[in-house]
Amino acid sequence: MHLVVDNLSKNYRGGVQALRSVQLSLRPGVLGLLGPNGAGKSTLMRILATVTQPSSGRVLWNNMDIARNPDALRGILGYLPQDFGVYPNLSAIELLEYLSAVKGISAGAARKRIGELLELVNLADSAKRPLSGYSGGMRQRVGIAQALLNDPQLLIVDEPTAGLDPEERVRFRNLLSELAGERIVILSTHIVSDVEAVATSIAILAHGQLLAHNVPEAILASVSGKVWEVVVPTSELSALRQSQLISSTAHRSDGVHARIVAKEKPHPCARSAEPTIEDAYLAVLAGRRGAANGAAT
Amino acid sequence: MTQAGSTLAIARADFLERVRGYGFLLTLLFAVYLGYATARGQLSLQLDEYRGVYTSGWIGTLVALTTTCFVSLVGFYIVKNSVQRDRSTGVGQILAATPLKESSYALGKFLSNFGVLALMVAVLALGAIVMQFLVREDPRVDFWALLAPSLLISLPVMALTASLAVFFEMVPILKGGVGNVIWFFGWSFGIALPKITGLNWLDPAAIFTVMHSLAGEAQRYIPSYHGGMAFQINTGQIKVAHDLRWPGVPWSGEMILLRLMWFAVAGCFALIASLVFDRFDSARAPRLSRQERRRKSANNLPAAGIVVQSTLHVHLTPLAAMARSSAFRRVFFAELRLALQGLRWWWYVVAAGLLIAQFASPLEISRGPLLSVAWIWPVLVWSAMGSRESSSGMRPILFSCANILPRQLLACWLAGVSVALLTAGGSAIRLVLARQLFGFGALVAGALFIPGLALALGVLSGSSKFFEALFTVLWYVGPMNKTPGLDFTGAANGSRTFHDSLWYAALGVALFMAACFWRARQLRSG
Repeated sequence: MHLVVDNLSKNYRGGVQALRSVQLSLRPGVLGLLGPNGAGKSTLMRILATVTQPSSGRVLWNNMDIARNPDALRGILGYLPQDFGVYPNLSAIELLEYLSAVKGISAGAARKRIGELLELVNLADSAKRPLSGYSGGMRQRVGIAQALLNDPQLLIVDEPTAGLDPEERVRFRNLLSELAGERIVILSTHIVSDVEAVATSIAILAHGQLLAHNVPEAILASVSGKVWEVVVPTSELSALRQSQLISSTAHRSDGVHARIVAKEKPHPCARSAEPTIEDAYLAVLAGRRGAANGAAT
Repeated sequence: MTQAGSTLAIARADFLERVRGYGFLLTLLFAVYLGYATARGQLSLQLDEYRGVYTSGWIGTLVALTTTCFVSLVGFYIVKNSVQRDRSTGVGQILAATPLKESSYALGKFLSNFGVLALMVAVLALGAIVMQFLVREDPRVDFWALLAPSLLISLPVMALTASLAVFFEMVPILKGGVGNVIWFFGWSFGIALPKITGLNWLDPAAIFTVMHSLAGEAQRYIPSYHGGMAFQINTGQIKVAHDLRWPGVPWSGEMILLRLMWFAVAGCFALIASLVFDRFDSARAPRLSRQERRRKSANNLPAAGIVVQSTLHVHLTPLAAMARSSAFRRVFFAELRLALQGLRWWWYVVAAGLLIAQFASPLEISRGPLLSVAWIWPVLVWSAMGSRESSSGMRPILFSCANILPRQLLACWLAGVSVALLTAGGSAIRLVLARQLFGFGALVAGALFIPGLALALGVLSGSSKFFEALFTVLWYVGPMNKTPGLDFTGAANGSRTFHDSLWYAALGVALFMAACFWRARQLRSG
C-alpha cells in the first residue's frame, strides 16, 4: 500500500497557485496535514480524492496514476470533504444505505456495516430521524460514517472534527488511531492537538508549498533547545509579542506564562521547555515567512 | 444608515453580484438574440394575415411586446434566486442580525431584480433603433414612438415581474418548484386579465391597449380586416398593408398614469412579501403537518437516551472482498426512494386519483387530458434529477465513489422513467388492452424523454429551475394544446404517432447520454 504525490501543482483561474510541486510518499499510518488558511490543504485533499484534477504532476496509488484510472482508487477510498451536505429528507440509515449501494457494497454486508458505524459514531439512537433535524456535529458524524462505509484502504478526512464537541473529538481521534494500522489515513486540520494525538507523520503546507514532511519526533527535534518558557507581567506581554515568536500564553496569578520559540534565550528569566508540535509548526511557518521576506528584500 | 439607504445598498450589492457573474452574460445574450429575432422579422405583429409598414411606432411596439412576452416570462426564472442566494451563502444570517427591516430588504431585492430586467429592456430598445435604420420601410424616425412602448409597456411589466419574483421567493409555498410552475400559469392569466375581467384598464401587459389602437387603424386601411390580431413567430405568409402607417399608441396623460400605476402595484407586492418573509429564520417554517409534528416531537424525545461513550467499544468488521457487488438494483431503488422522499400524502392521493381516472375514463380522454395532467403532476420529482447532488451538497462525496456514471446516473434516469410509467399506468394498460401498440409505444417514448430532459438540464445547470420552466411551457404547448410533433404523450400526433414516438425515445436516450457526457466532464474537472 503506497501513495505517492509526485511534483503536484494546481493552478486556479486568475493565476492563483494553490499547490506548487508538492512531493509526498506515504505508507500505512496517519499523515497529519497542517497549514494555515489558504495553504492548499483542501485542494490537495480533493486531488487525492479524485474530485479535482491537478494542473501538473501525478498521484500514484500502488504505482497506478489515479488521474488515468480514478475508479480503481475510488473503490477503496473513504472521503470526508470539508464542506458537504446531506439529503435532508432521508434518515442517517437511509443515506448510508444509498451510499453503500453507490459504493458497490452488497446489501447484507452494508446492513451490518451501517449498524456498526452508527454505533461507532454514536448515532444509533437517532439513526431513523430525518437528517434535516440533525445538528452540525451530528451531520459531521454521519459524514464520518459514510467515509468508513467501504472499509477504505485510503481514508481522507478534511477538517473532520469541525463542529464536534470535545468528547466526540476524542472519540474520533481514537477511532483514527485504531483505523490507521493497515491503511493510509490523511487528516487535514487546523487543530494541532488533533494531529499531535494521532499522526504517525506530519506534513506542513503553506502557500501551496510543502515546508516539512517527517515523523513527529523529527519535527520536534527541529525545535529542540529552541523553546522557552517565561513568566512576565501582563504589561510586558505586548512588547514581548513584538520581538518574539510566542506559541502560547496562559494567565496565572504570578503573571503571564508565555512559550517562546527562539534560537537564543529570549529573556533573562526564560528557561528551556519541552517542545510541542505546535511550537515546531509555528517555527516552520515563521522560517518560511523569514525566507520570503529575505527574498523580497 | 436610513432604511432607504439600506434598501439602495441591498439593491446595489445584489445587482453587482449578479452582473459580475457569467450568468448575466447569458442573460444579455438572450436579450440580444430576441432583438435579433425581432429585427430579422422572425417575430411579427399581425392583423389577420397582414402587417403594417415598419414605422417607428410599429417597430417600437413590436419590440416592446417581444420584451413583455418573452423577457417577463423567462426573466422571472432568471431573477428568482436573489433571496435564495442569501440563504445558501449564509449572507442572510448576517443580514438577519442587523437592524435592517424586512420591507427594506424586500424593496432592495425588488430594485435589483428590476435593474437586471430593465437592462434587458434597454438592450432590446437599442435593437428597435437599429431595426428602424436597417429595415428602412419608413424613412421617418420618431424616437418617442420607437422608445415610448419600451418605457410605458415593458418597464412596468418588468417591475411587476421583479416584485413577483421577490414575492414568490418570500412566500414559503411558492419559493420552490411549485412556484416555478405556478408562475407560468399566473403569467398567462395576467396577460389575459382584461379579457377575463372585462376591465380594459386592468391590462398589465398593455396588449389590449395596443390591440385597441391597432384595430382602429386596421379597419381604415385593410378592407378585409376581421378584427384578428396576433403577436407570433413569423410563419412567412404575412402580407404588408402598404397604406397602414401606424404611428404607435397615442399615449394620453391618463394612459401614462395608468401604466405608472403598475410600478406602485409592483412595490405593493414587494411590501406584502416582506410581511410573510421569515427573515432567514428556519424556525419560522410553515405550519407542520400532523405527521411531521409527531415525527418532530418524537425527535425531541431521545436526548436522554443518547449515551456519549468516551472510549471505543464498537468493533468494525472488516469488509471482505466478497462483500462488494455492482448493487445496481439497490442503487435504482435508492434513487427511486430519493425521488419520492419528502412528498406529502396528498401528492400520492392525487396521483392515485389520476391513475384510477385513467382506468375508468374512455380511452381518448384517458390518454389525452388525463395523461397530460398525470405527467405534469410529478414535475418536481423529475426536476430534482441531476441537480440534487449539487443543491444538497452531496457532490464531493458522490463524485469520489467508483463507477458513478454507469451506476448512479443510469439508476436515477430509470427511477424517473419508472415514475413516468407508474403515473401513466392506467393509460398504458388501456392502450395495451385496446391493442393500440403505437399509442403504447408513444407513451413509453414520452416516459423515456421526460426524465432524460430533466436529467440533462439538471446535470448541465445544477438547478431544477430550467427543467421546471421549460417542461411547463413544453407541456402547455404540446400535450395541453395538442400541437402535433410537440405532444410527447403521443395523443395528438395522429398518423405520425409511430414516427414521433421513435423520435422522442431517441431524444430521451440522447439526452441521457448528454447528461452522462456532462457528468463525466464534471467528474474529470471536479
